[in-house]
This record gives sequence, C-alpha cells and structure tokens, in this order.
Amino acid sequence: MHEMALMGEIVQLIEQDAQMKKIKYVKKVELLVGTLSNVLPDALQFAFDVYKMQANNSLTMDAELIIHIEKAKAVCAICGSQYEPVTKIAQCPTCLLPSGNIVEGETFRILAYEGSLTHENYIGS
Amino acid sequence: MKITLEVDVLTNNNRAAAFNRQLFEETNTLVINIMSSPGAGKTTILEKTIETLANEFRIGVIEGDLATEKDADRIRALGAQAVQINTHGGCHLDARMIAAVLPQFDFQHLDILFIENVGNLVCPSGYDLGQQHKVAVLSVPEGNDKIPKYPTMFMRTELVLLNKIDLLPYLDFDVEQAKEDLSCIHPQSKLLPLSAKTGEGMDEWLHWIREGVARCKKQSISQ
Repeated sequence: MHEMALMGEIVQLIEQDAQMKKIKYVKKVELLVGTLSNVLPDALQFAFDVYKMQANNSLTMDAELIIHIEKAKAVCAICGSQYEPVTKIAQCPTCLLPSGNIVEGETFRILAYEGSLTHENYIGS
Repeated sequence: MKITLEVDVLTNNNRAAAFNRQLFEETNTLVINIMSSPGAGKTTILEKTIETLANEFRIGVIEGDLATEKDADRIRALGAQAVQINTHGGCHLDARMIAAVLPQFDFQHLDILFIENVGNLVCPSGYDLGQQHKVAVLSVPEGNDKIPKYPTMFMRTELVLLNKIDLLPYLDFDVEQAKEDLSCIHPQSKLLPLSAKTGEGMDEWLHWIREGVARCKKQSISQ
C-alpha cells in the first residue's frame, strides 16, 4: 500500500500551494498516472477517500479525484521502432529483445487542483 | 478556481534528496543505500563489513525499521556510529527522514555512510535518498525468481549481493538463472554471490567499497 504514502505527498504538495494562495477548500485533484509508474489508480482512489475523512487538510468531503492515464511508449534501441510495452522490461516486438527505452508511461504528476477561498457548496465537518 | 500545478508527486522527496546529495558530495562521503526483503541479511553483511573496514575507514550507519533500535544496537556494538529511524508503519525511508538525521553525523570525519533501508522489495526502490549507490541484497532461501518478480528494485540497483551462498547445497537456488535474469532486466548490474556468515565472496564486496571511497577522495583532490 505505498499509494497511501504517495497520496500523502500529493496532499502535502497541494496544501503547500493552497496555503500560499489562501485557498481553504480543495474540491478536485487531477493526476497524470503512467501505466508503468507502479501506482494503482484504485488504491490511489482509496487513499484519497481516506485523506478526505481527515481534518488536517483542505480536501472537502465531496472532493473528486480525476486520474488521467498515460499510456506506455518505448523506442527500441536496436531497430528504432516504437511500441507499447506491457512491462518495464520493454521487449521489442520486432527484435524480441528487451531493448526498449521507455519514453512514456512512467509519469506520476499532479496536473491541477480546484479550490475556493470560501465555504460555497462545502459539505462536511 | 482551477490551479495548474504540474509537479511530480515526489517533488518534495527529490528536493530533499538533492540537498542530501550535495552534502555527501561536498564532504566526499561514499553513501550506499542497501535494500532487500526482510531477513535477507543486510545487517549481518554490514556487521561483517564494518568488522573488516573499521581500521581503514570512518563508518556511519542509518538504520531504517518500522520499530525498535535492534539493528542500530547491533552496529553500535561494533563501535560504529548508528542512527535508527523508526518509520512507525511506513514501508520505506524517504529523503526527508534522512535529511532530518544527517546533523547527527560529523561529515568532516566520515568516509562511508551506509543507509540500511526498511526490509521491502517494492517501495524503497522508488525513493531517491541522495545516495551515490543503490545496492540490493537477495538471499538464497528467497529463491531465484525474485529478480524478475520485483523488476523495479533490480532495475535500479547497480550491484546485487547474493547472500547466504553457504546454503546453496541444501536449496534449489539457480545462480546462473539469477545472473541471466539480472542481465535481462539491468545489463549494467552485477550479481555478487557471498556469504556474510562464512566470509566467502566478501572480499569482492569490500573491494567494491574501497574503490568507491577512492573515487570519492579523488574527486575532492581534483576539485
């Protein structure tokens, strides 16, 4: 369950930014998660729901988590062909060798969040 | 209102790792992050390593565990400085935990800092601590399927110590298969069979450390 620790990082980064901007309520968080980033979207959603229940952050009870998925892309170091690898050991479908350099799919970023300075539509304790 | 952040989730960790790395480089300290499953023998390897190298180098150790000072006590018994980090349930060490204990070491009088990570083949591999080298320990009783089963760990470690080779006659561990799996996942990595218990193979590991220290010192002369 390292998604719990990673969600802790996400909440902390958003809190840092929200405090600077004096945002009190965070209602939506958008992430970009690569299929090879070793992060499970379901576990992230679970962790997000756990953090929403806690009073020590700005997430509202109805806050939404949007996970955009980044597909994996590898370029074979031998033949140069581009393909979508299934695992981190990116086997080239042409050369049949684990020769791929992964160029996309390992991303794990916070893209954006939505927040407000006031209490509007805020449900929860 | 929508706020665009566009930051890596591990931004705070990576910032702390950069801070640690700068300190290690400025003080020419060799820092090795050692990772493995629980029970692979990280602490025993460190004990044997310190016993031999204590006369040559000034060594410090950071021990990471969920609970207890047991590992740090084992290191302290050898006369080396050890600082224990308890993660209280956390499955890995992160760079901020390391940064928080660094002031306890006197880096002007330290040649090597070993960081023994929490026993876990998954999470510790994702966190940069600022170390120059990542080393994995795999032990014979775990079986040789661990390298392909936990690729994120073995893709990121430049050296894999295969510990407990004194048990090879009694178990089905296939060393050649493990070497082949490793070369497939990470061709630049090296598998080094040893037994911390009998001492077999330890010389090559100690040689690797001595070379690492020499590289750190050389950098200081050229600067």
